[in-house]
This record gives sequence, C-alpha cells and structure tokens, in this order.
Amino acid sequence: MLDCRIHKVRHAYDVAVEIVAGAERLALFGPSGSGKSTVLSCLAGLETPDDGHIHYDGQTWFPPPLALHQRSIGYLSQHEALFPHLSVAENVQFSLDAAARSDERSWINEIRERLELGALWHTRPDHLSGGQARRVALARTLCRRPRLVLLDEPFAGLDRPLVRELAAILKDWQERLRFTLLAVDHDPLVLEGLCPRVIALEQGRVVQRGDWAELARAPATPTLRELLDMRP
Amino acid sequence: MPKDLPRTAALAATALFLLYPLWGLASPVGRWRWAAAGAGPALATSFALTGVALVIVVAVGTPLAFFLRGAARGVRIAFEAAVLLSVLMPPLALGLLLALAFGPGTAVGELLLRLGVPASNDPAAFVVTQVYASLGYYLLGAAAAFEAVPRTLEQSAALLGLRPRAVLWRVTLPLARLGLAAAVSLAWVRALGEFGAIMVTAYYPHGIPVQLWVDLQDSGLPAVLPLLLVFLLSALPLPWALRILARSRGYA
Repeated sequence: MLDCRIHKVRHAYDVAVEIVAGAERLALFGPSGSGKSTVLSCLAGLETPDDGHIHYDGQTWFPPPLALHQRSIGYLSQHEALFPHLSVAENVQFSLDAAARSDERSWINEIRERLELGALWHTRPDHLSGGQARRVALARTLCRRPRLVLLDEPFAGLDRPLVRELAAILKDWQERLRFTLLAVDHDPLVLEGLCPRVIALEQGRVVQRGDWAELARAPATPTLRELLDMRP
Repeated sequence: MPKDLPRTAALAATALFLLYPLWGLASPVGRWRWAAAGAGPALATSFALTGVALVIVVAVGTPLAFFLRGAARGVRIAFEAAVLLSVLMPPLALGLLLALAFGPGTAVGELLLRLGVPASNDPAAFVVTQVYASLGYYLLGAAAAFEAVPRTLEQSAALLGLRPRAVLWRVTLPLARLGLAAAVSLAWVRALGEFGAIMVTAYYPHGIPVQLWVDLQDSGLPAVLPLLLVFLLSALPLPWALRILARSRGYA
C-alpha cells in the first residue's frame, strides 16, 4: 500500500499531492508542467520532497529519504537508460545475482518470450530500435518483481499498436504480480487503456480523482475538459 | 574515391608526422654500441620504480577523481587549480622545488632524515618525483573519464537495487574504462620519461632518461640510440595493451 503526501517547492508553483494506492493501476493525468513527473521523481528518490511523507507497506521512504536501492521500485521513462556495455540479456537480468537468476529462470524466460526478446538476447543496446530498447527497459524493470512501478511517459514516440501491446502486457503482469503501478503520460488514450483510476493534476494540485468515465462526464476544470476532448 | 579515404589519409598523415622523429634512428651516427654496464640496471630501475609509482598514482588518483565529481563547485575549482598548477610546472623547476621542499632545511626533510629516508639520490626519491610528475595528469584524465559517465545510468542501477559500491563496479568503472586506460597510459609515459625533475632529485640510481643523458655525454650517439630503441619498444606495450583491452567490448 502506497501512502504519500508530497510537497515540493517549484519556481512557478508548489507541487502538493496526496496519493493512497494499493495493488492497482493509477494514472496521474494533467497538462505539461502540472507536477506529474515531480511526484514520480520524489517517489523514486530522484528528488527529495520539501515536506510530507512517503510510506510503502509500512516502510518509510521519506522522511528521512530512503536510499534509491532500498525502495524496490521499477522506474521506466522514455529514456531507456540501458547499459551500453552489456547485452540485452545482461541488461534484463542486471538486478539479479547468480542465485536469483537460477531461481527466476522461468520468470526470465516468460519475460523474454512475452516481450519478444529472444532474437535480441545477445545484442548490444546500440543495435536496437527505439521500440526494441523500450521492450528491454520494460523487461529489466519488471525482472526483479518491484513492489511499485512508476511509468513516466514510457511509451512516448512509439506507434499505437506497440503501445497497446505493451500496455496489455503490463496490465496482465500487474494483475498477476499485484504491484502498485503509477503511470504518467501526456496522452489520455495511453493512460485510459492502462489505468482504470485517475488522479488529475493542475499546477501542482489534485483537481479531481475517480475513473475515466467520471472525469469525462464532469471534468473539474476547463483545462481538463480540453485535454479529455482531444481524444478521438 | 572511397568514402573513408580523406579520414584515413588525415590520420595516416598525422601518425607519420608524430613518428617522423624516429627516422633519426636511421641516421649515420656510426656503429651502434650497447652500453651494457649502465643500460641493464637503468632499464630495471626505470621499469620497477615506475611500476611502483604508477600503482601509487592509480591507487590514490582513482578514488580522488571519482569523489571530485560529487564535490561542491568551489572545492572542485580550487582542487582543479592545484592539479593544473602541478601539471604546468616545468620538470626542471619541479625537481628544484622538490629538492628544496624535501631537503634538510624543511620540517618534512628533517623528519625524513630522522626516519632514515634520503630525500635525494634514492629509489624513494625517484618514486616520489615520478608520482609528483604524473599524478596531476592521471587525475585530469580520470576525472574526465568519470565525468563522461551518464548519471542517469548510475541512477538506473541504483533503482534496480544496486548498492553504491556495486554501481561503481558494474556501471561507473566499466563505462569509464577507456578514459581511465588513457589516463593510466599518460601517467605511465609521463613518469617513465621524466628527466628534468629526476635529474635534480634522483640522479642515482640512473633511470633510462638519465642513462641516455650519461651515455650521450660519455660515448655519444652510437651508445644512446640502441638504449633508446629498447626503451621505446619496452615502454609501449603497457599503454597499448590497456587501450586495446579497454576497447575490447567496444564502448568508450
């Protein structure tokens, strides 16, 4: 269970957001600069909140800030950050030691098959296309079975069929592994396909919570209405 | 015209320019003579003591260069200024200053004397001088190598559950290795070829540069050139091998 209240001082406006989430898929939605990525960065430990608290399953992540490696987080952004000196196989299994690789053999095989990485398994990242690199990054993120998965526009720049496929895989694994998934994207279609519940942000504040149907029926602000109207 | 020809031609021309001084080895200076009495010990002195100096430089310089990356801006600027000052020092001036600073007129010199460590004409003086001559070069190269490692990759590794030490071993060092190899090569070449400072602080035991000077004075060029050739051939493999090893997995 994620329980956080994040207050982060920004130049233009402060970000102040409260989130409580269990083993579910939750979208953070809002216009550019509304503070969505700041929330994810604070949860991941890449930024430190100025005030508030972050707890996950009874463990305190802030305050004081818990080191990144102790948080059991899967963080996926549009920058794959694959390790260029390692093969796809080594990237995917990076977080596992030799014993864990042996124990998790069937899970690793499932990831490899489902994300179609078999033919790329011994390839270096500099030989991968954008879509392939994103699959590898997703595989690496999920390989260690994180408790909290943070997606910061991970599908940006990918074509629709691939986005739908990756979102379906993520949904499936989230339901099986029961991790908390928080997703940020500028595209409501991507989020709607992935997350049933949504928190809408504007200028660092939560303006609405609910499911997508509620949001579409009565958007809390004109900006939110405009963003939702952009859907086909 | 092949697409790669201009680049190859430019690289070849530069390599020829850099290697042209070696043409001097073919000069008609008379029959070469191997000055066996001094050459063997000089080779042993140079390689053994430079090896010791290099180990010290790498052991001290690598963590320093790594920590420099995370240092406050002011600390970093001040430290880099100190390093640059040591690098800019003319070798002869460095030797003179070392002789004065570690001489009997200073507290450090007195302490060394009391401990029975000679401040000149001794293997310890030889190694210390080499360390002074090469540490700054290594630090600048190693710091640049660490700086070139993307922070996002280290953050990714930490988010994947790696402790800071594991991140260093599995991400930072492998990604910095080509730059570190270049820094080690530079330090090795700088220490091994040091002449001006060594002349002042450690004329004895003769290393190769001093032996070349002695042979030139005593026997002329026919005695210098064979030792020079052996010196070049034996000094090259280490930096060359380091570069090749560092490139072996194809990432800079």
